[in-house]
This record gives sequence, C-alpha cells and structure tokens, in this order.
Amino acid sequence: MINLQPYSNPNYFMILLAALLPIMIGLYFGRRLKIYEALFTFSFLVLTFGGDHWHQGVALIIYTIYQVGLTMGFERYRRTKNQTSIFVSTVLLSILPLVIVKFTPLFPNDHSFNIGFLGISYLTFKTVQVIMELRDGTIKEISWQQYLQFLLFFPTISSGPIDRYRRFIKDYDHVPDRKTYLADVDQAVFYLFQGFLYKYILGYIFGTLLLPNVSQAALSQRYALGGTGISWYLLAYMYVYSMYLFFDFAGYSLFAVSISYFMGIKTPMNFNKPFLAHNIKEFWNRWHMTLSFWFRDFIFMRFTFWVMKHHWVKNRVRMSQLAYLVNFLVMGFWHGITWYYIVYGLFHAAAIILNDYWLRYKKKHADQIPHNKWTEGLAIFATFNIVCFSFLIFSGFLNQLWF
Amino acid sequence: MKFGKKLWLIFGPVVIAVISVWIVLLLPLNHQRVSQDALRRGSVSLSTNIYHGQLFKKQAFAENYVPFLGSSELLRMDPMHPSVLAAKYHRSYQPFLLGSAGSQSLNHYFTLQGVHSELKDKKIIFIISPQWFTKQGQAPAAFSYYYSPLQAIQWLLTAKDSKATHYAAKRLLAMPSGKSSLIVENCLEKTARGESLTHSDRLLLDLRRHILLNEDALFSRFRLVDRWRRIEAGERVLPKRDSTTSLNRLAIRLARQHTTTNRFGIDNHFYSERLRGSRINGLRDSQRSFDYRQSPEYSDLELLLSEFKQVHANVLFVIPPINHRWATYTGLSMPMLQQTATKIKYQLRSQGFDHITDLTNDSQQNYMMQDTIHLGWLGWLKVDQAVKPFLTEPQDQPTYHLNSYFFTKNWQESLTLQKSDGQHGE
Repeated sequence: MINLQPYSNPNYFMILLAALLPIMIGLYFGRRLKIYEALFTFSFLVLTFGGDHWHQGVALIIYTIYQVGLTMGFERYRRTKNQTSIFVSTVLLSILPLVIVKFTPLFPNDHSFNIGFLGISYLTFKTVQVIMELRDGTIKEISWQQYLQFLLFFPTISSGPIDRYRRFIKDYDHVPDRKTYLADVDQAVFYLFQGFLYKYILGYIFGTLLLPNVSQAALSQRYALGGTGISWYLLAYMYVYSMYLFFDFAGYSLFAVSISYFMGIKTPMNFNKPFLAHNIKEFWNRWHMTLSFWFRDFIFMRFTFWVMKHHWVKNRVRMSQLAYLVNFLVMGFWHGITWYYIVYGLFHAAAIILNDYWLRYKKKHADQIPHNKWTEGLAIFATFNIVCFSFLIFSGFLNQLWF
Repeated sequence: MKFGKKLWLIFGPVVIAVISVWIVLLLPLNHQRVSQDALRRGSVSLSTNIYHGQLFKKQAFAENYVPFLGSSELLRMDPMHPSVLAAKYHRSYQPFLLGSAGSQSLNHYFTLQGVHSELKDKKIIFIISPQWFTKQGQAPAAFSYYYSPLQAIQWLLTAKDSKATHYAAKRLLAMPSGKSSLIVENCLEKTARGESLTHSDRLLLDLRRHILLNEDALFSRFRLVDRWRRIEAGERVLPKRDSTTSLNRLAIRLARQHTTTNRFGIDNHFYSERLRGSRINGLRDSQRSFDYRQSPEYSDLELLLSEFKQVHANVLFVIPPINHRWATYTGLSMPMLQQTATKIKYQLRSQGFDHITDLTNDSQQNYMMQDTIHLGWLGWLKVDQAVKPFLTEPQDQPTYHLNSYFFTKNWQESLTLQKSDGQHGE
C-alpha cells in the first residue's frame, strides 16, 4: 500500500498537481466540482494516512466522527440555550484528545492504541474555534458536510495554516470570476516556487548540510566554559537552527497556501518576513501568524474578558501581562510537555512583557528617544537575536548538550 | 485569447523550467571525465558523494588507483599513511580511499556496484576492523549515511539469482534505506524471493539510474573535502629514500612528539578533544563486556567476499591491532580480540582468501596506533610492509571457493571453529 507524506518529494507534487487539474479547469470555467473535490480530499487522506500509517488513519476517522458529533450537538443545543457550563464542557471535550496525545510521551511504557495522528493539533484549533464562535453567535448554523470540508481541507490538514470557518466557507461557496481566479493561480505558482526555494534549497542547506555539522561541533564542546557547553559553535547552532526552522516551516506553509489558491480557497499566509520585526510583539504578528492570531483570539482575548468580567485584576497593565503569561504558557505546553518548550513559552512571555514596558516608556518620552534608520536597525537586530535565542531553547539542543 | 495569453504567462515559465530540468537529467552525460588533479583529490577526500557516486571510482579504478576499503582509520593521515607513502615514492599505485567512520562490509558491498568492469582482476586492500563485529552488526543510521539509491539500482539491474543476492536484498530491506523508494523496495522484495524483475521494473530502474548518473556527473565533483594538502604536508616530512629503517626512525620520533600528554600513547590532540578530564574516568572498564565473536557482520563480510569473487579481485586483508594500554584501561578482552581475528581468518582462508595481514598480536608494541583503535605511525608502516610488495609485485591469481554456510545464523553465532564448520555443503 502506497503512503505519501504531504509535500515530501517531487512525486507527491506531480500526483497532487495532476489531481488538481480538473478542479482548476472547473474553476476556470466558473464551476466548483464539489463531488470531485470530496473524492480528491478522500484519496489524498488515504495516501497520507493509509499504508503503514493505517493506525493514524483509524485515529483520524474516530477523531473526526467524535468532533463532528460534538460540534453538531453543540450547534443544536445553542439554537435554544446558552449555558456556560455546557459551553465549557464542550470545549474541554473537544481538546481532550489533544491533551491525551500531548501527555502520552510522558508514559513511554503505555502501549495501548495511540490516538494521535499527523495534524491533530490543527484540527483541534479548528474545532475549538467553531465551538467558541457558536457560543458568541458569530456562527449561527453549520452543515456537517461543510464542516467536514473545513476540517479535512486537504492542503492544510497536516500543519496548517489555521483557517477560520466563516472565511473558508465564504471562499468555498463562492466561485471567483475568471480574472480573479487567474490572479489567484498566478499567486499560487509564485508561492509554490517560493516554497521550493525555501524548503528544498534553503531549508536543505541549513537543515541537512549545516545543522548536523554545527550540532556535532557544538556537542564536542560540551565541557567548554566551565562545563556550560557555551561555545562559538553553540552560537552557530542557534543561527543555523533558526534559519532551518524558518525556511522549512515557511516553505511548507507556502505549499499549503499555494495548493489552496489553486483550489480557489485563499488560506491565510503564515509568515510575513518575521526576522524584520522591530520588536517581539511585532514578531508574533509576522511569525506563524495563523497560530499566534488563533492564540490571540481564543486564549489571550478570552482570558482577558473572563478575568475582567470577574474583576479579578483591576490594573489593565497587570491584566495584559497576566494574559501574555497564560497565552505563552499554553503555547509552550501545546508544543509538548518538556522543559524546553515550557521555558520557550515563559521566555517569550517575559520578552513581550518587557517589550510592553519599553513601548510604554518610549511613548511617554517620545521627545527624548531618537528615532531613525539606525535605531530601527538596532531594534531589528536585537529582536532577531532574542528570537534566535528563543529558538535555541525551542530546539531542545540544550537538553542534548546538558543532560 | 486574452485569458490564453495570461495562462501562458503564468504556466509558460513553469513548463519551460520542467522541460529544461528533464533535458539536463536525461542528457547523455555519463561519459564525462574527471581531471587528474580532481581524481587525486577525490582519492583522499573521503567525501560521501564519491562513495555514493560512480564517476570518480570508475575512472580511478581504470587507472592505477587501488581501492583501499576501510573505516575511520583511513582518516588518520599522518606521514606514514598509505596515500602519503605512495605519492612520495611515486609507487606504481595510489590508494583510492573508500570508507569512513561507520561504513562496514555491507556499505562496501554496495559501493562497489557499478564499477565491476573496472574492478575486474584488480587488487584491493581491505582493512577489517574487529569493532564492526558487534551484536547488532551494521548500524542502520550509519548505513543510511553511506547508502545511495544509485548503488542499489546498479546492483538490482545486474544481480544474478544466488544465495548471496537473496541475502543482500534481505539485508537492504532490513535497513530504512531499502524502503526509501517505492520502486526500489518493490524490486528488492522480488529479488529477495528469487523472482526476476519485470520489463517495466527494469525500465523504471533504468530511467532512475540515468537520472542519478547525471546527478553524479553534474554534482559529485563539488563539495569535495580537500585533504590532498595534508598528503603533501606529510610528503614534506618523509625521508628522500623509501627505506624501512629511516621510515621507522621517523615514525618513532613523530609518535613520541605527538603522545606526550597521556600514558596511553594516544595522540595529544585526540586525547584533549575527546578524553581529557572527567570523560576518561567514565571509560574505565567500560568495554569489559564487548564481544566481537558473534555478529551478523560475519555474513555481511561473506557478501563482500562474494563480490570479490565475482570480479576476480585479488584482495589483501588487514586486521589492525588496537591500543593495548587503552584496552587494558577500558577492560577490553585481548583473548576475545584474538578469537575474533581467528574467526575472521578462518572464514577467509577456508574460502581461498590467503592474503591476510593480522596485526592483532602487534597490539603490545608502542606507537602502532594513533589513538584508541586507529592505525598510525608504526602501525601504518607495518601495513605498508604487506601492502607494498602485494601491490608492486606480481601475484598469482587466486581461486576462491565460496561456502554459503557463512551466510547462516549458525556461523554468525558460532564460537568454535570445528572441522565441520564450512563443510555444510556449497
């Protein structure tokens, strides 16, 4: 049985583009071939989760039935009632599978059926978003067919970008006119090749050619500087890993966006020149954007409203600091339950809180603080290095170096 | 029409790019030649693209380069290294080094595919490390590092149905590398079962081979690690005349200079980089339970022997010594090492591979090793005393008579060399 991992090799792209052709011709002539699209999605799900990954396929099916049932149930309930306890339990039930998957590595001796599969996080982001919007009333009703299309939208299933239900359905129900569609396709081709450049050339140079070498060099210096392992090679590792992380993930995201555009769905972009950010706050508006916006809307904002409603914290500044801390801690835990992901979350929370102090100070003393090309350059340089340092924590390399 | 033009503007460049890539990949490029200078650098670069490819090997073996198969010791390029000696004294041969840390018999078997006609009747030097013969045998990760799909495809397209072939296919399938391509995996499964490949299998493999050969021709000359400078630096140190006594004197002098910081006779640099401080304490008695007598590697070795027989190669086998003082410190058992060497030699001799230089018993001598298990200084000279006459003087063409018993688990795990061993039928 054939198994193909998304965007992993030239064959995959050839099969994918060939299968996309009917959809593209349809859209070119102003029609969306919904049945064909459903079959297309199904076949690629089988390719990704079939073969020797079949157990993931089974997990995906069970998970999908569970989530669709949960969401449709909540939608039915929400038409007439709106109790907070039901809402909270629905959200908890919705994230339960993900929580179990995240805790599984802590019990290496437990060999019962693994309910995880590639992309479970991203599906959970989507379901939680829909449940929350149902609660808010911004989504009134959903049909299970459309919900399935949204959940299992093939190009983004494995690692995002995380789309929003209403935005997705608007594109899905709407066929662009020929001129608009051709502009989309033009963009799609550009993104596809940008993705090739990022993932298969730059990502390869940093990840496959350089990373193992600097990694080995840095590990050989593990007794340097009084046993801390801090060496020039470690610094090199930090930068090489950061570049690899960016080009690999940005490349992957470009593929997902590109394939969506071919299908007439404008999946949002994930990266916007993140290393040119002037500060940490701006960085999170440029890096893995769909994730950070999801966290902003559904963790940061929700938490803020919730605390304000109960008048637990009066001071607005303290309030946002607390929300940042919760926001990034949750993100850290989501990455995985290891010390370095959690420290990574704490580090970014601290960075963004300090950054806030600085921004407020700057605002107050705007007349005394110079602002020109050089200070901007300095800001970009400082932000870049702070971010790279956080990625060094994130990489888990320190874990390898020290323990 | 307006939209037609727009479509062309979007997809035209893509179509042109795809067509040009295919043209480059399918162009008949495999008759390219490498310059003598590049060949010289390639012979000592130990780069994986040379080990993976075939452009350099093919041309080198057609000339006076002799394959030196081995592992990490090949990198110990002091002035007594075979490549330095051969270059300095303008010997009739020049080593072509194949192998680095982690490459063992199975990798060597596959790297020799695709150069059969150039290897025919050639002499080969093969340095067998006892350290390969662990309980697990070849480590899959190391194997992947030295494996290339080109080797596997060349092999699949030329392999004859035999016990050795079935064994090789099964071994490759047991490695992650064997499953990295669907078509290769499929063909390996057929070969392992003794089925022949279909016409369409061959067609696909042929196409893939063509593409890989073109990639090799286009890219393998880049990213060569330049170690020829180290060879030249070594040449400058060597005496003018190729004389055993003056070489020995120099080797001892150099070895003394380089082993001043520790009591193990280990190169200072190696010692300070890898062992100094608290690390060395952790290694005391750490190798007490090491045992090289039972290992799947014995059958992998047999596979390589079948390759030598197939190409009628005349092979000199070298079993290197180890650092005796280091072995005492780590608790490595010398009797176990001797038994390992005996088992290897039995496997070789009983099948007609008679050119063997076993240096296990030279372990006691000083300055044989550059560090813990790697040949250096006097050790390399000792190797040279066997290599030089073997390669420069005419040798009788050997007759090999292989015995498939050595592919069995029984042999892998055998601890006794009874008379009956090797008698279990052809």
